[in-house]
Amino acid sequence: MAPGLQRFTDIAGDGGPRLDAASGEELLRMDRAASVALGRRAPEPPGTLFVTTRRVIWLSETEKGQGYAVDFLAITLHAVSRDLEAYPSPCIYTQIDAEDGSDEEAGGSDFEANGDLQLAKVSEMRIILSDPGQLDALFDVFCHCAELNPDPNAVRNEENGWSGGENLAEGGWIHGDEDMIDGNDLEAHMFFTNLIGQNGVRDLGRSVRELQIDDQRFEDAEEEDEIQENGH
Amino acid sequence: MLFFSYFKELVGKEVTVELKNDLAIRGTLHSVDQYLNIKLENTRVVDQDKYPHMLSVRNCFIRGSVVRYVLLPQDGVDIDILHDATRREARGG
Repeated sequence: MAPGLQRFTDIAGDGGPRLDAASGEELLRMDRAASVALGRRAPEPPGTLFVTTRRVIWLSETEKGQGYAVDFLAITLHAVSRDLEAYPSPCIYTQIDAEDGSDEEAGGSDFEANGDLQLAKVSEMRIILSDPGQLDALFDVFCHCAELNPDPNAVRNEENGWSGGENLAEGGWIHGDEDMIDGNDLEAHMFFTNLIGQNGVRDLGRSVRELQIDDQRFEDAEEEDEIQENGH
Repeated sequence: MLFFSYFKELVGKEVTVELKNDLAIRGTLHSVDQYLNIKLENTRVVDQDKYPHMLSVRNCFIRGSVVRYVLLPQDGVDIDILHDATRREARGG
């Protein structure tokens, strides 16, 4: 799991963040007079937002050399928020893959335990731009960057509702397409269902099992071996 | 590629995406990519009492790796086509 929100102090000579050029990190967008609000805290005084091919970095203007960074790998959701009743400023709302025990409860300020800010537990961050008209453009950049950063080692999720020895179901998507490198595992634990909910999953799972039993094409063990070889 | 192809067919339809953190968001499927990242429009949070702050969000991008379920519209599931697709996929074709 990618680390969540982190403190960032690696400032280059020009006052901007020092990027990891060796890994190909490039600056894609910069917004001055941008604020960030962590969890339910009030927004920080304005600073500068940097969006790179790998992460989002925000540097404070008032406290030089201080800032925060979060990898796109850890940003699980982002959205444009404009409803002023829900939040007083239009903003980009993000959810961050935080350590457990963050704000599963509605309160959501555990990360400030003992007065210290535990950044790794921050699970929500809002980005407020001086020009709200730029929020859609920033949203699009975030989308682009999320796609640039697929999960490197998505692990197969054994909670897969279709597991239980159905080689048909398992063999298919795990060993299938070479161009699904990072998507395979995601597919493995996404289920089809419908608005009926649980029943839909169960019915479909049963249908898949029946398929295997009834369809002679899948009874040939040699063919299964062949499938697996071809898949690799 | 089965799921990717399948979800592409659902663009424009109403789906509910449940995340691994239990947040469930309902909205119109705007787009999906090969990582199963999902963009929704006209969203609303299913459990508004628990997540009141998400009310303000009208469109959102969800990382594929945090999706637990995608609940489909009932008429968005053609079981016969789905069966065929899973068989083809399992046969490596």
